[in-house]
Amino acid sequence: MAACHEINYDEKIYEKPNKILLMGNPNVGKSVFFSNLTGIHVVSSNYAGTTVSYTEGTLKLGNESYTLIDVPGTYSMEATSEAEEVAVRFMNSNPIAVLCVLDATNLERNIKLGLELQKYKVPIVYALNLTDVAKRHGYEINVSLLSKELAAPVIPTVAVKNEGLNQLKDELQKVINRPKMACGNCSSCPACASNMLNTWDRAREITAKVRKKVDTKLSFLDRLGSNMLKPWPGIPIAILVILLSLGVIVGGGKALRATLLLPLVNKVLVPFFKMVFSSFVPEGTLLNVLIGEYGIFVIGFEWIIALIFPYVLLFYIVFSFLEDSGVLPRLSVLFDNIMRKMGIQGGSMITILLGYGCAVPAIIGSRAATTKKERLIISSIVCFAVPCISQTGALISLFAGFSPVLLILMILLSLSIMMIVSSVLSRLLKGTVDPMVIEIPNLLMPNGKAYGKKLMLRMKGFLLDAEVPMLISIVIAALLKETGLLAQIAVYLEPIVSGWLGLPKDAVIALILGIVRREMAVAPLLAIEGLTALQAFVGGTVALLYLPCLSVFGILTKEFSVKVALTIACSTTITAFVVAGLINQLAHLFM
Amino acid sequence: MRKKNSEKISNSLYYAKDNLQYTITSAPELGILKSLGIVKDARVCKKMTHWMGGPVLVKIESSEIAIGKDIAEKIMVRG
Repeated sequence: MAACHEINYDEKIYEKPNKILLMGNPNVGKSVFFSNLTGIHVVSSNYAGTTVSYTEGTLKLGNESYTLIDVPGTYSMEATSEAEEVAVRFMNSNPIAVLCVLDATNLERNIKLGLELQKYKVPIVYALNLTDVAKRHGYEINVSLLSKELAAPVIPTVAVKNEGLNQLKDELQKVINRPKMACGNCSSCPACASNMLNTWDRAREITAKVRKKVDTKLSFLDRLGSNMLKPWPGIPIAILVILLSLGVIVGGGKALRATLLLPLVNKVLVPFFKMVFSSFVPEGTLLNVLIGEYGIFVIGFEWIIALIFPYVLLFYIVFSFLEDSGVLPRLSVLFDNIMRKMGIQGGSMITILLGYGCAVPAIIGSRAATTKKERLIISSIVCFAVPCISQTGALISLFAGFSPVLLILMILLSLSIMMIVSSVLSRLLKGTVDPMVIEIPNLLMPNGKAYGKKLMLRMKGFLLDAEVPMLISIVIAALLKETGLLAQIAVYLEPIVSGWLGLPKDAVIALILGIVRREMAVAPLLAIEGLTALQAFVGGTVALLYLPCLSVFGILTKEFSVKVALTIACSTTITAFVVAGLINQLAHLFM
Repeated sequence: MRKKNSEKISNSLYYAKDNLQYTITSAPELGILKSLGIVKDARVCKKMTHWMGGPVLVKIESSEIAIGKDIAEKIMVRG
């Protein structure tokens, strides 16, 4: 029977024996099931398309071990998108069983996929998830009747609270040990194909039978959720949410820095290492490299712990909350009209916002865009005008010495560059951008445990991924400064740095380090004494627009090509010098 | 010509009146629309059209879906 299909099993994962597939519509909680069943934590959010590729883990049922695969969410098995193609390939790769997650609040559509999966003749267990939300919406579902209609076990679950998961495991074990069905693994041979007809009608019929609507009063969150979709009061609420988020990140980060981290660095860590090293290292270049003004053990702590860390932490606290609550897709809807005029669509907003944390996940996340043109525009916007949180933290500290007006000007500058880049590219690049079609998830209070895990995962990721390049740039800084090399390089770059940009010659170090990491294009400016407000702004502008950091360059090469990476890097750098220089020259003309 | 045009506009989901139930008579052949249940004969409740070329908001079953202007204009409905 397997001869029905000719599929290239080129990747090892498709060949693995004992596979159990975790399938279902997007945003039904598959990743939560995966985390709870395997103990491996994957990032889950409250919007469609968090899992763009699959994840695998080990699931123990009794004494047997199985490979559980978190397949990207699909609405159908018609292979209309990359995610759906992956799902179809997995279904055709001889899985031993399928765990299909159904969203109890959207039965018709979910049952339709559930019925489509049955065509593959693989044992299925259904998890009826989000039963708590369905109840809140006034839906009563007859689970035993649904199980009869689907001719398979259906287990009601609330995955985020771990409810029903043990029962689910038991049922999985039962269906796996049951004798195999007669028909093989095939969806397009004539006998099976006749069943394909009218899955929609059948799904509607089943839904009508098993679901009863009882009147309930809408909860506050439900009412807020639908109000946030209307321009009034949606837009004022959205602006409030954005301002509040900014306030928490900037204010919280500053407070954490001033009250806890700065004293820790200046009063404990730095003096301690100064004492240790000066006790056995003789005075000279080596001691300076270690604990001098730019010493590794001085700026290493100052920059990483006191400057960057508080803002990264606060950003992910706020952003993860927005993700899990379902606020982000609502912002997409409200701002789709503006984004449409910029040549992209509202759905891309989530990816761009992700870039305010770090450009790397944003560029990977742009895979969710349906056309290559849109992916390129999103990635360019992120590289040009979206500062990562580490850089934002450094910019906030830089401008803190002057006036908040500088920060507002910088935000306006970044927004206008975003619009220009998007409008220019949408005209320049060939191809189309598909209009927005998104499903709006329920607004809900994030689950404490899932939220905490995600935050931990992200902070761990930041510390592991960012630490090495940061240390490298700090070592470079220490060597350049303390060996006197910096002064020699500065002579060559003087016309650009001092002449055109009007910055002090020490700013050269920022330009060199900015190649490695984005915040390092700002941090050295903080150490320069007597910087004027204009110089701070010009330096900030260069840093904002400057080269994407090395990791971003790497991910651009991987996701697109070396050519795309080089084009983006060159154009951002040229724009950085032109725009920052013009600001400096014009300011001098008028002042 | 003009009559035909205005007829077309009044049948499109984008220009249909808010807060009413409609049956879809034709929808573009688009994977994502099919998947979400925006198919011929499906019943949807149109909530609103956003200003300045924004999306249309519809409710189908208990899920709310936002559809960009360029697609919503091509979805035809009857009351």
